[in-house]
Amino acid sequence: MAESYIVLIEDNPDDAFLASRIIGKVCTDRIIIARDGEEASELLKIMAEDETYKQIRLVLLDLKLPKVSGIEVLQGIRASAVLQGLPVVVLTSSDNDIDQERCRELDVVDYIFKPMTADRLQRVLSRDKDA
Amino acid sequence: MGPLPYDISGIALLYIEDESEARSMVSKMLAMNYPKLKLYEAENGAVGLELYREHLPEMVMTDINMPVMDGISMSRAIKAINPEASIIAVTAHSDTSYLLNAIEIGIHHYILKPINYQELFSITDKILEQIVLKRLLAEQNRRLVESERQLAGAQRIAHLGSWQLDLPVGSMKWSDELYRIFGIEPGSIPPAYQAFLEKFVPDDRKAVEKAIEDAERSRQPAAAQFCDILRPDGSLRTLQVEVDVILTGAGVPATIIGTSHDVTDLKQAEEKVHILTEELERRVVQRTSLLQASVKELETFSYFVSHDLRAPVARLEGLCRALLEDCGSCGNDGCKVYAERAERVVRQIKQIIDAFNNLSHFATCKLVIEDVDLSAVVRGIASGLQQTEPGREVDFVIARDRMVMGDPRLLHIAMEHLIGNAWKFTSKTAKARIEFGCSELPGTSVYFVRDNGAGFNMKYIDKLFKPFQTIHSPGEYNWNGTAIGLATVHSIILRHGGRIWAEGETGQGATFYFTLEENPEPGKLYGSRVKGEDDL
Repeated sequence: MAESYIVLIEDNPDDAFLASRIIGKVCTDRIIIARDGEEASELLKIMAEDETYKQIRLVLLDLKLPKVSGIEVLQGIRASAVLQGLPVVVLTSSDNDIDQERCRELDVVDYIFKPMTADRLQRVLSRDKDA
Repeated sequence: MGPLPYDISGIALLYIEDESEARSMVSKMLAMNYPKLKLYEAENGAVGLELYREHLPEMVMTDINMPVMDGISMSRAIKAINPEASIIAVTAHSDTSYLLNAIEIGIHHYILKPINYQELFSITDKILEQIVLKRLLAEQNRRLVESERQLAGAQRIAHLGSWQLDLPVGSMKWSDELYRIFGIEPGSIPPAYQAFLEKFVPDDRKAVEKAIEDAERSRQPAAAQFCDILRPDGSLRTLQVEVDVILTGAGVPATIIGTSHDVTDLKQAEEKVHILTEELERRVVQRTSLLQASVKELETFSYFVSHDLRAPVARLEGLCRALLEDCGSCGNDGCKVYAERAERVVRQIKQIIDAFNNLSHFATCKLVIEDVDLSAVVRGIASGLQQTEPGREVDFVIARDRMVMGDPRLLHIAMEHLIGNAWKFTSKTAKARIEFGCSELPGTSVYFVRDNGAGFNMKYIDKLFKPFQTIHSPGEYNWNGTAIGLATVHSIILRHGGRIWAEGETGQGATFYFTLEENPEPGKLYGSRVKGEDDL
């Protein structure tokens, strides 16, 4: 079986480090990091073209991103015929009700307040496996 | 003879006759016939004159030939005092010299001796009637003068001039006040129609003319609004001209009557009010925008706290956890302890951020104003507290049916803090008692929450309602670490247009008083901002 990926879209290096550390504790998936919304969109476009997107197990998405926001990235995923089924988990430090509501509408797997714990990620990944 | 058809009370008659028998006989007859007539008697002219001076009777009836002073001399003296006195001469003389004297003096009535009573009464009746009529006339005249005086006074006070225009001849009458309004001495110029029109400035003259013509043609009242006149001193005055028409019996317009009201001062006052109102509105706008600016600043700051500050705090929390998880085995015990303490600090920061956000939310959110039964709210909170700590015995005294207008959610939060504080600070009190009540003061209801718990030192009163300030040490009374309870209450009460203050004494309990605006405004200070719009 081919290697599986977890795509982490996160601009802050500390947050990227903390999330990677938790991912490393829970699974052996390869972590691909995008540093802003634009980079994320381009990355996903390439992965859609070469069909590596099929190996994506989870997209971890920060909402507050430079250039293209997390919500826009999410909208892009849902609007794409190829990528629309990707499991996305939102990572945020803000307690914004409106953001939460929008993300629910855009069918996210989970909405996690930072810092993410290993238990939480484990729960998400097991649910992903069950589905 | 029957009673007189008019009232003669107050009229007096002086009768002078030297023959006492005749005098008493005539007096008796007069008294019988005129019971209301006041009668004075004298035996000669000198005594008669004395009595006249004393009483000034309206009528005098006198014999002519008398000792000491005769009737003619006395009558002359009386006429000198009062030329209007009515004098009847009673005489046996048909002597023309007497009569001529009498006429010259002004005696116009004669009765010949021996007196014929019919004749006496007939003459007396006639004189009495004249006196009564004169009195009525004088009274009418007095009233007329009085009401004219009042009218002139009223016109002067009201700056209301009146005029009339006789249509067939075109002659006019102007009231004194109209002259004054025109800025000229009353009666100083003849009140002509042309002169009247020329008082108005050319632009407004037509309006006045038209009002008069309209009234004449339509036979209905007409008016000319705010017409300016030019006074000889060059000042402009603004008049309100009202016109009405008086018709002849045949329904033909006979006279135009009008009023000219000097409304210059009113207009000026109105203008002043207008300017002041505009100024006030300008200031309100200015104040509001200042207020809006500071609220906006607060919101920006609170947005910063809730979003920008949360991210590094979450980062710190993650790093502390990483430290705890990964450095347990490095051999240095200090690492673990420090990491645990650092994580507690992070939790505290998060609590403060939440508290701060709540506080700024209460200060700026839109209120939902409804009828709220504050007594029921307090009862609910009290029973909730009793359920959480069933072991505690607290005597709750809650006033009934205190209905207020306000936001039910916010008022509940405020009461929760006040009752919760009272509950917390009576935890070490033997016979704990918590009271919610209301004192009715003139024009306002003062609500209060009173307890007999720990109380506080009044020297800390200034810190009481400030956020993040506490007057109790950490750990004492389960202090939660943020100390925004009373600041929240303060903010909620302010939002309801009320006031809050407290009284207390260490160890003797505390009382928190507050008022609420009867009809608070729900409004946010500016249009609601969509939370998180900067995220997108």
